[in-house]
Amino acid sequence: MTGPQRDRLAAAQAELLRALLAGGEPPAGFDRDRLRIEARALLNKRRGIVAALRPDLVEALGERFRPLFDDYARAHPRREGTRMRQDAAAFAEWAAARGELEPPRKRRWWQRRAT
Amino acid sequence: MERLGVGIGWRPEIDLTVERLPGVDFVEVVAENLRPDHLPESVVLLRERGVPVLPHAVSLSLGGADPVDPARVAHLGALAEVLDAPLVSDHVCFVRAGGLDSGHLMPVPRTREALDVLVANVRAAQADLPVPLALENVAALLDWPGGELTEGRFLAELVARTDCLLLVDVANLHANARNLGTDVDRFLDEIPLERLAYVHVAGGVEHQGVYHDTHAHAVRPEVLEVLARLRERVDPPGVLLERDDDYPADAELAAELAAIRAVVG
Repeated sequence: MTGPQRDRLAAAQAELLRALLAGGEPPAGFDRDRLRIEARALLNKRRGIVAALRPDLVEALGERFRPLFDDYARAHPRREGTRMRQDAAAFAEWAAARGELEPPRKRRWWQRRAT
Repeated sequence: MERLGVGIGWRPEIDLTVERLPGVDFVEVVAENLRPDHLPESVVLLRERGVPVLPHAVSLSLGGADPVDPARVAHLGALAEVLDAPLVSDHVCFVRAGGLDSGHLMPVPRTREALDVLVANVRAAQADLPVPLALENVAALLDWPGGELTEGRFLAELVARTDCLLLVDVANLHANARNLGTDVDRFLDEIPLERLAYVHVAGGVEHQGVYHDTHAHAVRPEVLEVLARLRERVDPPGVLLERDDDYPADAELAAELAAIRAVVG
């Protein structure tokens, strides 16, 4: 019954989220400044949640946490069904792959350092 | 409508605070953070004391283009049953679209077409819920083009067509007045206040001319002023304070609850 309406709404909402989360073109009719403010607010919220879930990453990265997370987030908009904990873990992997973070240690707490 | 009184959002970070704060008549829990078969001890304690615990959902995406996810509705319904809650709630918003998750409550276009989809989704959710569903107005930083209805009319039509209850967030209303030019008095005149289940109050911050509904700052006087304008029209069955981050000392939360009580009397 609401098929065609759903399709049009789906396209409009997807276009808006692409613009806000994935660097998509600003949809027609929206205020550009407000799109920027909303995009920043969503990014701040996402970064804040990751920081709260993984204080170890905030500590390890220090001042680099914010710019690195923002680069990661823009390149990896959160997909439907991804939990925030997975998002935080994916960011840690991404940062480690770029050499910004030591990869998770295999060594256990009772083991001596190799050298 | 059931009398609820003055309440506060229960969060794991402030569980002890919520338990010992004086004058907490009811609480709300974020539905997605609780499992019906593993309720936090603190929530069980509050239920044992007879404090109503209302599940508040953030992920149904009722204003989204996709049909509602029956598993999310079932989870909300199961929580309502285990908590013996008089009602449940979510928002007039969408959170997912095109495979992406916004992580926040996004406003829907105020068009007849978007309203039709919202109505269909709300009816589907209601059909699977054991208790009434209340829907909340959200705070927006941006407005969709092509709006055909004021926010008040949009909500009034939603209630007329679904018989849902309303959860009016006065901080969100203040946000929309500040950010989008929503007329507070007109909004309050247009919505069916006899369907008001309860009210949300929250803190926020003003940044470069835009009000951000953060739930991490103190409640601003302008928000209490909106509550007062609502109170001129109706005696709300309940008013609940939401705080989600940067938790202050107990005394500060107690003072905010007292300020709310002073307004609604």
